[in-house]
Formats: sequence, structure tokens, C-alpha cells
Amino acid sequence: MSDRQIQIVLDSLWPLLRAGVLYTIPLTLISFVLGLILAIIAAVIRLYAWKPLQAVAQFYVWIIRGTPLLVQLFIVFYGLPSIGVTLDPLPSAIIGFSLSVGAYGSEIVRASIQSIPKGQWEAAYSIGMTRLQALRRIILPQAARVSVPPLGNSFISLVKDTSLAASILYLEMFRKGQEIVARTYEPLLIYCEVAVIYLAFSTVLSALQHMAERRLGRSSAA
Amino acid sequence: MIQVRGLHKAFGEQQVLGGIGLELPKGKVLVIIGPSGSGKTTLLRCLNLLEIPDQGSLRIGGVSLQFQSGARPSAREVLSLRKQTGMVFQSFNLFPHMTALGNVVEAQVTVQKKSKAEARRRALELLEKVGLADKARSYPHNLSGGQQQRVAIARAMALDPEVLLFDEPTSALDPELVGEVLKVIKQLASEGMTMVIVTHLMKFAAEVADQVVLMDKGVIVEEGTPEEVFQHPKSERAVQFLNMLAD
Repeated sequence: MSDRQIQIVLDSLWPLLRAGVLYTIPLTLISFVLGLILAIIAAVIRLYAWKPLQAVAQFYVWIIRGTPLLVQLFIVFYGLPSIGVTLDPLPSAIIGFSLSVGAYGSEIVRASIQSIPKGQWEAAYSIGMTRLQALRRIILPQAARVSVPPLGNSFISLVKDTSLAASILYLEMFRKGQEIVARTYEPLLIYCEVAVIYLAFSTVLSALQHMAERRLGRSSAA
Repeated sequence: MIQVRGLHKAFGEQQVLGGIGLELPKGKVLVIIGPSGSGKTTLLRCLNLLEIPDQGSLRIGGVSLQFQSGARPSAREVLSLRKQTGMVFQSFNLFPHMTALGNVVEAQVTVQKKSKAEARRRALELLEKVGLADKARSYPHNLSGGQQQRVAIARAMALDPEVLLFDEPTSALDPELVGEVLKVIKQLASEGMTMVIVTHLMKFAAEVADQVVLMDKGVIVEEGTPEEVFQHPKSERAVQFLNMLAD
């Protein structure tokens, strides 16, 4: 590697990290939290709600899981303006990613709820709880623990998937990388540098995930 | 206190309860015995509506309900009857994400809307009663089976039910842990708690029961005081069953 190339890598490190911390991570966090709320609502609807509502939730999951995320983002950002809905890149990305997390997450949450033994429902009913109380106080807290490992995986995928937002002009880490490449003509170097930063993010998150799992495992081993 | 009339229950084609009638005065202990598959657990579960009977009537405390096939009682009716009862399950079914104390506090706060402090006071009293005040902060997985079942008894009593229902409370326990649970149940009996107990332990049944009911194939084949049922059974089925246990 020439001195010039080393200089380029060093110079671009800070702008890339900055884009990661200021744009990639917030986009990931916001989308994940909103997606998770959506996932719980969709899961509960699919399990317990009035039949037509169940069908709506199922339709939502079917659409989102059956179409590419990139296409969904394009529809929101480039497509919706045709019917008068013009959104900035950030809200478009949040909508796209939240819907995606919600759909995949709802399957995880649903399976977790179903994994809680029937005896827990019966115990809750036997102390006078309504179905909603049982769900909120007894079933969901336990389901939450069961769903931490698979949801952790979704979260790590999401960190990487946010790079798709580059294609709808959101200036996150990958798009920042593209800009630097356009200026320096060093695609191999810069994209590898971007990859290494994503790898660092994922590694830290995986470690956090393992810690969380161990903690939960300690207090909930049956 | 408890009055059951003409209770029928079927699971699909399979008739499980074929017209059960029962009466239990306040402060008395009824023990239900019988071979497995005789419907005794189903009967118990009908008493707090974990199973909804197809036909018949049920009165516990001040709440009475009529059942007809195809007409489910409303959620409110179910709840009001359930609140008259507390249930102790064979496999404890403690809430694993709550401490022993949390398990006993839960219904008081969520269902009865008591203040946390008040609920905690009452829960500690109840844990004291079952001899586990020192385990209040332990999670279920750190307790032995016998301790878990005693917490479950405290939990079942937290709403001051009119009657406690026990579904084979010692069947899931290691033999050396059975005694501590039976001791608590006997103590409750001596304090005048109304209880319905399904059990396979005949000696315990004879000790604790005021009334014994022997079920077979969904009907009551023998009933009376422990002495009447165990020493002088009238029906042939009862003689058979008791002999089989004696072997």
C-alpha cells in the first residue's frame, strides 16, 4: 500500500465512523424499537384477535416477507411521491426497516408466546386474571426472554441492512463510503474499510447479545 | 359453600363427567379419589372453570352459574366464580420470572388492585404460614419442588378464596418432599379452610378428609366419611379399587 493510500484510509476513518455513529446506529435503534412494537402487536393479533384482524396481520407479514427490502424502500421513497406522499430519506428508511423488523419479528414473538407452557395461562386464570392481564403480566415477560436470542440476531442483521438506505439517499455509513470512493477512486480500500467497521459493530453487538443471554439464563433457568 | 348439580362434561365424543352432584359445607375438606381417567381432575378443573361444564349448575360461595351446551358463560361470570377459588396444580406452575414473594403479590396488585405495600405485607404473612418467609426473595428455580408447591399454596390463598382446590398436589414431588406439603394442607384443614383435594395418597385422604368421593368413569361410585368409604365401601367398584391399592 502506498503512502497515499494509507493516508486515504486514515483520513476516511473518522468520517466513516462518524456516519456510523450519527446515522447508521440511530436508524438501526429507532427502526428496531418501532419494529419490535409492531412485531408484538402483530403477533398478539395473529394469535388472539378477531378473525378478520388476524387476516390483516397475516397479509402484512406475507407482503413484507415475500418482497425484497430494497424494493420496499424504493416504493416508499421513490414511489409514494407519485400519489402525493413525499418523505425524506430518514423517515422513508425508518418506515421500511420498521415494517420489515415488525414482520419478521412477529413470527419470533409469536413462536415465543406459543412456547410458554399452558400451565402458566392456567395459573394466571386461576388467580382471577383476565386474558389481557395474563398476557401482559405472565406470558409476554416470559416470551420476551425466549425471544432475546433470535431478536438479537435480527438486530445484528438490521445494522447491516441499513446500508440499503444508501440507495434512497440517506447519508449513513455506506453512502459516506460511496462519496469517499467517488473522490479518491479507491473502491477496494474504502469498501473494505467500511466492511471492517460494520464487522466491528456486529462483533460488539454479538458480545452484548451473549452477555444479555447469559444474564437472562441465570435468572430464568427452569 | 360448594354445591354441584348434574355436572356434565365431554371432550368431543368422549364423556368425561356424567352427571356429578356434590355438596360441601364451609370449613370442610372433600377428597376426590379414583383411578386415572376417572374424571376427578376434570371435575376439579370445572370447579374453577378452567374447563367449562356442558351442563349442570355450580355454586361456590355467593356465586352460582348454570351451564348449557353451546352457551358459554360470559367472561365476567367466569371471573366472578374463579375469584371464589384458589387452585394448586400438580406441577406448581409458579411464575418463573417472579420471586416467591412476587408470585404471591401478583394477583393482589393486578386483580385486586391493592397497594404494593399492602400486598407485600399479606404475601409475607402467607409465606410465613407455609414456612417460607425466608425464601421470599428466591426465584422458583432456586426452590425445591416442595418449597415451590408451598409457595403455590400461598399464591392460591392470596385472594382469600372461599375454597382451595388441589390437583394431585404431591404427585410431581420426590417422596422425601411430600411430607412438608401435606403438613401445610393439614394445617389449613385444621384452621377451617374449605378444600377440595384430588389425590392418590389414601392414608393422607383418610387423615385430612371430612368427606371422600370415589369416582370412576365420570360418575361418583361411592361417597361418605373416610371411614365409610375406606372401611365399609358399599359398591363393588369401590371394593375393587381399594383392594387394588392395597396390593
